Amino acid sequence: MNVLAQVRGVSRRFGSFTAVHPTDLAIAEGEVVGLLGANGAGKTTLIRLLLGLLEPSAGVVRLFGAAPSVAGRRRVGYLPQTLGLYLDLTVAENWRFTASAFGNVAATMPENIRAWSDQLVSDLPLGGQRQVAFGVALSHQPELLVLDEPTSGVGPLAAARLWEDIRLAAQYGAGVLVTTHNMEEAQECDRLVVMADGLVVTSGTAADIIGDHTVVEVRCGDGRDGSWRRAFALLDGNGFVVQMDGQALRAAGDDEAVRDLLRGGGIDAVVEAVTANLEEAFVAIVSARDAFRPPAA
Amino acid sequence: MRWGLEHVRLSFGRRVALDGVTVPVEPSGVTVLVGGDGAGKSSCLKTLVGLVQPESGSVRRPPKQGIGYVPATAGVYEDLTVQENLDFSADAYQLPSRQRGGRQAEILDRIGLAAARHRLGAQLSGGMRRKLAVGLALLHSPEMLVLDEPTTGVDPVSRAELWRLIAGAAAAGTAVTVATTYVNEAARATSVVLIEAGKVLASGSPETILRGVPGALGAAQGTARPTPLSWRRGVSWRVWAPAGELPGGVQQRDPDFEDAVVVAELADERGRQRR
Amino acid sequence: MWAMVAKEFRQLRRDRRTVAMMIVLPAVLLIVFGYAANFKVTSIPTVIVGPGAGQAATLLHAPFDVVEVDAAASQATARSRLQDGRAIVAVVTGGRGPQVLMDGTQLLSVLTAQSALAKMLATRPAGSPAPPVSVRILYDPKLITSWVMVPGLAGLILVFIGTLITSLGVVRERQTGTLEQLAVMPLRSRDVIAGKIAPYLMVAAVDLVLIILIGMGVFHVPFTGNVATFALGAALFLLVTLGIGVLISTVSQNQGQAIQLAFMIMLPQVLLSGLIFPVTSMAAGVQWISYVLPLTYFVEISRGVMLKATPISALWQPLGLLALLAAVVLGLAIIRFRRDLAPSDRRARGQARALERVADAP
Repeated sequence: MNVLAQVRGVSRRFGSFTAVHPTDLAIAEGEVVGLLGANGAGKTTLIRLLLGLLEPSAGVVRLFGAAPSVAGRRRVGYLPQTLGLYLDLTVAENWRFTASAFGNVAATMPENIRAWSDQLVSDLPLGGQRQVAFGVALSHQPELLVLDEPTSGVGPLAAARLWEDIRLAAQYGAGVLVTTHNMEEAQECDRLVVMADGLVVTSGTAADIIGDHTVVEVRCGDGRDGSWRRAFALLDGNGFVVQMDGQALRAAGDDEAVRDLLRGGGIDAVVEAVTANLEEAFVAIVSARDAFRPPAA
Repeated sequence: MRWGLEHVRLSFGRRVALDGVTVPVEPSGVTVLVGGDGAGKSSCLKTLVGLVQPESGSVRRPPKQGIGYVPATAGVYEDLTVQENLDFSADAYQLPSRQRGGRQAEILDRIGLAAARHRLGAQLSGGMRRKLAVGLALLHSPEMLVLDEPTTGVDPVSRAELWRLIAGAAAAGTAVTVATTYVNEAARATSVVLIEAGKVLASGSPETILRGVPGALGAAQGTARPTPLSWRRGVSWRVWAPAGELPGGVQQRDPDFEDAVVVAELADERGRQRR
Repeated sequence: MWAMVAKEFRQLRRDRRTVAMMIVLPAVLLIVFGYAANFKVTSIPTVIVGPGAGQAATLLHAPFDVVEVDAAASQATARSRLQDGRAIVAVVTGGRGPQVLMDGTQLLSVLTAQSALAKMLATRPAGSPAPPVSVRILYDPKLITSWVMVPGLAGLILVFIGTLITSLGVVRERQTGTLEQLAVMPLRSRDVIAGKIAPYLMVAAVDLVLIILIGMGVFHVPFTGNVATFALGAALFLLVTLGIGVLISTVSQNQGQAIQLAFMIMLPQVLLSGLIFPVTSMAAGVQWISYVLPLTYFVEISRGVMLKATPISALWQPLGLLALLAAVVLGLAIIRFRRDLAPSDRRARGQARALERVADAP
């Protein structure tokens, strides 16, 4: 498969602060790659390195097979989280402005947003605004798409509709890079690259990342007798990171230790180790990151 | 229903923000309000804490002293330090000076900001600021804690920590209400309310909601949309058959919360189209 | 480049507020200031006392506007009228010849009066002896401009600083989301408003004292009157100015709007407050604007107290009006704040028939 953009051993330092440790990343035609990490993890810096907006301190960057350039960036579509649209103009006016700025006046508006042509962008619901922004970003037919949290704040149906547009673009051969710190968004991607503190801590599909991480699930009685509250207080007070999950509790740690603790507290519960979800795996990986030592620069 | 909204109707000018909305809020519980942007979540919470008055319906809430509120935009003074923010909250809620120091230390510990006591609000990361806002709202041990999109835009680790605070407050007896756009957070609730365009689509415990998804749900592969009532999920599609009969080649799936919300929205759309 | 131009025009077309500002405002300002600015003083209130008062009255005509003729009154009365600001020129007849006293703090009026007087003497009927007229300029005998300007300038500076600073107060809370927090806390609207003004009041007061002291030190402006009177006038003036700032912030949706409004309120005060051009000489159509500007009253009070030792009894009117303005402005701010606790683009319907039951705490 054709690789559209690639970094090899790329790193970036600002004075004594390393924003991105030596990293490899590649995006090929037709695939949707998710860059997952907290704010400050280095996602934005890595993207700017990839697009040639920032010089790397070390390593090689290839955009469409060559060093990044203005011509190369013209083939990239960027969708910031803040839409990049003028709220006080209509959809059609926004379209005309972008088309004319890219020297692409002949472009025709995609069908799904045509119905909103004469509406002010500010009058559309957020999901609609995101779809319009996506359409506009695609108007110059970019081969590489970089989307910053494309579905944040939008309900699942509207998000699914936007993902349809994204998947369609990938089908037509575009490579898509999505940056996010939202698990639901991350799970829509083909594969994930997880960053923390400027380092890629793991990568692969969601299933790969979850691997064999487990959490302990605790079910107490029928939840109405308040025993879950005591269980929560007991676990929480003893340093376990506990979360509620409907009628059950989920705690990170060893199931034997949890069972012993609850028995000792006189709480009757069913305790079982279950597969972690992506978020729990992410938190476990990132919290254990101290085990990772980046190679000496 | 100890506290909450009952059949509340609220309009802003000609726009109807809430149309007959009921949201139960019980002590020792977490009510999660799930909906997309513009669904009416913020309006619900503002009605609940008394920032706006509904046109009809009833609202029950404790007096101001018993409410802790965290608005969507965090509500932390950025040009004050963590300690100064805590002091302002203590003053505003007239915490007795004897209890003040101990309670503040306790909260700082819970939210993990003890080391950042003298850092300015502006110097905290987004996640830390949210945790501080929750801490400020819990300082006076309110009976009802209301949080508007506390985890939006927050990194996953802080998100988990915020939910730990929320669950902890509920375990200690507080009635907690959380508004969110993240559907998977509905799983953490004792009571869920799905809201869209000012109307409640479904309400009940998480299990009730999942069991109550009408029709049949399945998954299909391929690049083309299988049926009109399908939507993208990762590389595959989800298919919904309201009548209960899935088309051939579609594998049956048990619905999760995302499915439940999408089905509820689709059902609502179809209902409106028929009228 | 054309794409940018076309886009900007489309945006501008919809932004009525900016268009209004760019076209309507300059026109209005030009007309108002055109009528206000008047170097030619047309009316100088004059009082005539002494035995020859009646006769003198018939001789004086425009620009002298004889407001009082009292043959029984003495020079002391005449001086008191000047001190109280009831007249700018006083003619004391009798003795060896008429004595003309002029209020030196009214620079333009005095210059006009001097030239009018000279013209009168020059055009008297030929052959009549020149009356031994003596002219004395009181309070600012050398007609030093800085003496007259400093008291008012101090006020002007505080109008700028005071209005601007507090106008951002509530807007900032709205933008950071802390406004909603305040609304839910057990705080009363007036506590919040008072809290928003009090610290600035203290700082502005110190500021004012500093400016006056510097003015006195550098320009040797005298301070002849009662400090307590000045302090009262200053306190009321600052209360109004800061209150206007808070009022602006309660009606603005963002900081840009607040600053726009603040400037629209500050500009007229430069030209219309009597700081430069006497209020009495402004066209009636714009004169009324001066009477709603707090600076107008502060200029009167500060000039009077500093240069003329005007007693508080003569200043009850400007002091009273400042107090009234303060009450109105602060009252409006509190009402506005109470109604305005919801975020900017949301207003609950006026006729809220809520059936609200508030449960008691257990």
